[in-house]
Amino acid sequence: MTKRWGSTLLLWFVCLVFAMPLIVMVSGSLKTPEQLARDPYSVVPESPAWSNYVQAIGSMPFWRYLSNTLILCGGCVIGTTVSCAMVAFGLARVPWAGRKLLFALVTVTMLLPWHITMIPRFVLISHLGLYNSFWAIIAPTFLGDAFFIFLLRQFFLTIPQSYLDAGRIDGLSHWGLFWHLVVPMSRPALATVALFQFIQTWNDFSGPLLYLNDPQKFPLAYGLERFVSSYGDQTHLLLAAAALFTLPVIMIFFAAQRAFVEGIATK
Amino acid sequence: MKDELELELPLGLKTRDQVISIRETIPGGAISSKAIHDPASHTNVQATTLPNPIENSSLKSSGSDHRSDTVAGWLFCSPWIVGFLLLFAWPFVASLYWSFCRFDLVNPPQWVGLANYYRIGAEVGTGKGYGLALWNTLYYSLLSVPLSVVMGVGLAVLLSAKVPGQKFYRTIVFLPSVIPVVAASVLWLWLLDPESGMINYALSWVGIPAQNWLVQARSVAEPETMSVIGTGKLLGSKDAIVLMSLWSVGNFVVIYLAAISNIPASLHEAAQLDGAGVMRRLIHVTIPMLSPVIFFNLVMGLIRSVQTFASIYVLSEGTGEPGGSLSLISIHLFLSAFADLQMGYASAMAWILFVILLVVTALLFRTSRHWVHYRVAG
Amino acid sequence: MMIRTLFMVLLMHLSLGCTPGRNSTESDFRQPEEVVFWHFWGGEDRVVVEHVATRFNQSQSKYHVRPIAMPGNNLNAKLFLSVAGGDPPDLVNQDDPVLADWATRGLIQPIDAAMSGTESEKLEKWLFPAAKSLSMYDGQFFAVCNGLDIRALYFNRTALQEEGFVAPETIGELDAIADHFAGLNSRDSNLPLGYLPDSRRLWAWSYVFGGSFLDPASNQLTIDSAANVAALNWMSGHYERVGIDRAIAFRSGDQSLPGKTFPLLPVQGDQNAGRYVMMMDGQWRVRDINRFLAQRETDNLTMPEFGACSLPVPSDDSLQPRTNAGWVNGNVFMVPAGARNPSGAWEFIKFWIGFNDPAIAAKTCEAGGWIPVSPEVVQTDSFQKYLKREPLFASFVGLAASPNQFPTPKIPGALKLQRTVNAAAYDAMTHPDKNAVDLLRSAQAEIQTSFDRMDFDHKEGSK
Repeated sequence: MTKRWGSTLLLWFVCLVFAMPLIVMVSGSLKTPEQLARDPYSVVPESPAWSNYVQAIGSMPFWRYLSNTLILCGGCVIGTTVSCAMVAFGLARVPWAGRKLLFALVTVTMLLPWHITMIPRFVLISHLGLYNSFWAIIAPTFLGDAFFIFLLRQFFLTIPQSYLDAGRIDGLSHWGLFWHLVVPMSRPALATVALFQFIQTWNDFSGPLLYLNDPQKFPLAYGLERFVSSYGDQTHLLLAAAALFTLPVIMIFFAAQRAFVEGIATK
Repeated sequence: MKDELELELPLGLKTRDQVISIRETIPGGAISSKAIHDPASHTNVQATTLPNPIENSSLKSSGSDHRSDTVAGWLFCSPWIVGFLLLFAWPFVASLYWSFCRFDLVNPPQWVGLANYYRIGAEVGTGKGYGLALWNTLYYSLLSVPLSVVMGVGLAVLLSAKVPGQKFYRTIVFLPSVIPVVAASVLWLWLLDPESGMINYALSWVGIPAQNWLVQARSVAEPETMSVIGTGKLLGSKDAIVLMSLWSVGNFVVIYLAAISNIPASLHEAAQLDGAGVMRRLIHVTIPMLSPVIFFNLVMGLIRSVQTFASIYVLSEGTGEPGGSLSLISIHLFLSAFADLQMGYASAMAWILFVILLVVTALLFRTSRHWVHYRVAG
Repeated sequence: MMIRTLFMVLLMHLSLGCTPGRNSTESDFRQPEEVVFWHFWGGEDRVVVEHVATRFNQSQSKYHVRPIAMPGNNLNAKLFLSVAGGDPPDLVNQDDPVLADWATRGLIQPIDAAMSGTESEKLEKWLFPAAKSLSMYDGQFFAVCNGLDIRALYFNRTALQEEGFVAPETIGELDAIADHFAGLNSRDSNLPLGYLPDSRRLWAWSYVFGGSFLDPASNQLTIDSAANVAALNWMSGHYERVGIDRAIAFRSGDQSLPGKTFPLLPVQGDQNAGRYVMMMDGQWRVRDINRFLAQRETDNLTMPEFGACSLPVPSDDSLQPRTNAGWVNGNVFMVPAGARNPSGAWEFIKFWIGFNDPAIAAKTCEAGGWIPVSPEVVQTDSFQKYLKREPLFASFVGLAASPNQFPTPKIPGALKLQRTVNAAAYDAMTHPDKNAVDLLRSAQAEIQTSFDRMDFDHKEGSK
């Protein structure tokens, strides 16, 4: 019994340590600058200063940033899902000679550090005239992503061959098998890929740092960093902006947790 | 449909694992330290080597089918083939070539032979420039990776205890690792403020003097730092980013948790029958059974820690300061390339880093034979 | 279905958002041409800058300036990326030491090309000599200075008078004041120091002592010249008379760090530890002093009197000291290579500096507390009135016309030169065992190495 109490106490302590930064972020974002200076750590703000959020949104082209972010996310999600599904199908379900070598290459590229490719990629993108356009960030996703290809290939491999054979007998081509059979059967996996690409693009900081220079085109992640540079001393606004930026990801996390990974958490 | 349901588990696990990589968005795009194989149970990796149903079907296919298969294969894989050539193959060749050049991005590259490598060698000797960056990276990786393994395993063992509210605890521990890295950095910039930050406030409860987190370049764990010992301010900026990285240890915890749940209960029961207590079961059953996952996280954690960029960029406001203490290789490379326009030097350091990583990974694989216990069949 | 609609909407957005060009959404052919202007100003200055742009946009219909604040540390990196990426801004503002570096690399283009007929010759004569030296490289206007930063010796006249001193005119007088206050301070550390040099001010003192850092005729570095060594030894002398450790501790709250109050300003009561009676600083401190005095007035406190004078001169016969001398720097406008609209940028530059209408620039300088770049702006009625109201500021404007105000030498890698010299000076001042000559000599060798390398690199490549 005492052991049980001990571990519960320890668990509560651990949770407090992990949750505290988030709690003070939210409570700090709701404090007036005066209260924040006087009493930064109390969990409950005296009277919630929602105006911080209004002010944070007003101090930057928030809606513009948000719509840029959503465009980038949308473009990248489409690019990744389409390209990775196709490639994964080609690797998993089309019997051809090159696929083993190609799959080995896919896995190898996952291990390479970005340091080497960063500069040449920049040169490539600017030679293609994509610098300072959303395509600089979106276009590469149409060329597949090793991890997502790997993930989808694993999934496609589990589709029973008998389904595909049946499709073949019905006269479906490879494209037909892919589009009418594999894609509909793989919705959960495709949704997973889409979801994680969405979050990845939402959080992406270095893409815009390298490729975008017009504030009209900045997404939120980069806009937030610019905001830190301009309003570094106005903590209440910074916290409000950070909380605003975080909220959608947390919402997606909770929604997705139920949809995709509930099995693990409870098992 | 039944098949699909069973698949949820490994798939879901990978997706969680994927969250790891999302925290570290990196320049240049797609490649990052993503999980390669299902870390939960090594048996899963073997899915790729299982007899492939396609083989059977291809045996049946006729000659014309064979040709159409090949065409279809090339077509379906063409996006990635183009991607490989444009985003990997060419960049590798180009950056190797540029590492022997003086190149400022605006004017054409000029061949300078080994000058950039000599410069790096000299800097490693003097501890400036790349030498400093290498040291900073080493410090950060050697501290954050082992700590994240220890903390990850510890938390996973704690969170695997069957107590009410288990799911809640797990969610809380995992939550920080989904916070976007820029937002998390903004938050930590405030938490680590030496005067008004909460971390120092919390330390004061347990009687630890306030630390000069992001202000002090050196820390007690570094050479030439006798000066900080007397002050009680023993921790500096690199310790701050280690601390921040440990906050998002949750993604590792999830992987360990899944692995723990895969340990057959019979092993624990057998150990218990032999009279092993909690600690002995941890050391003799749980940790050996976790060793493949620990190994995996060690390798991935290392590659990931070397690539940490966005958080350090935000925390040091894009400078690598104070005193060059946050000039890790990723930051030093970015600044050398784009603030000093020394693409040749930057390419050379990327290649050196790449070789170092290769060697370290190979060494890790070597040593893994002695301490990683792969289960034979699950 | 929903997915398909979303897809279409996205594609539409992409086609709008993805064109690198500007103004692509508007079809009105009389739309003014856009001039994208990057700057690093923040706070009150940013308001002034944006106001100038608005006034310019209203003054004519051909161009529309869009000012973009690029705060933070990596304006340069962003600019390089944009030049390499082929979509740079049309105009950028930066501190002057980058000029030679950027010009030799081909990152910026000479603005002369956008000037018509005699404008270039007229501009040369129109600018203050200091402003001209900050603007030109290789005989061309690679930049146009838009504001000068001039340093002078600020002093607390009241505090000086209380001890029987007046503003110093020679190094000897300055030393006497410093000695006197150092003596007082050693008995009561709550009293201010008279003067304690900042190692970064070696530039200014070297020019006063008759020194230089680059011989323009031979293009040779002269970092270790006798006058520079004399200036540095004199500066170290001030550290020694206070005591090195005490001096370092005193300096740790550096006056130029952001967020610190100007340490010339006395604190009420006798808590004046870490403060000075005299210190060298730039014209932007006038704002701080005015604010301080206004606060004292509302608080009904005594009002100390402040002044600023040109840097005192040594009376050493072996040197060739310069009067009204100092180290000048400034913000310069530059047009990046590949900019779409250099003519629009030049029109805006003219508007800003008051090339055609000095009264406009006078207004801007009054609003920002900036020093004009041309005597013509200074001579406008409104600016003269402003100077009458601001006598302290006027002494800085007076120095702007001096021929003895010199910038950091215009060489590629000037920033590194600046940093290396500053580090050597700091070393010399804080380590009595180290020798100023040796330190300056090794700084010179270090710079020479990288100078040679860059010289070889860029000059051969671009010429």
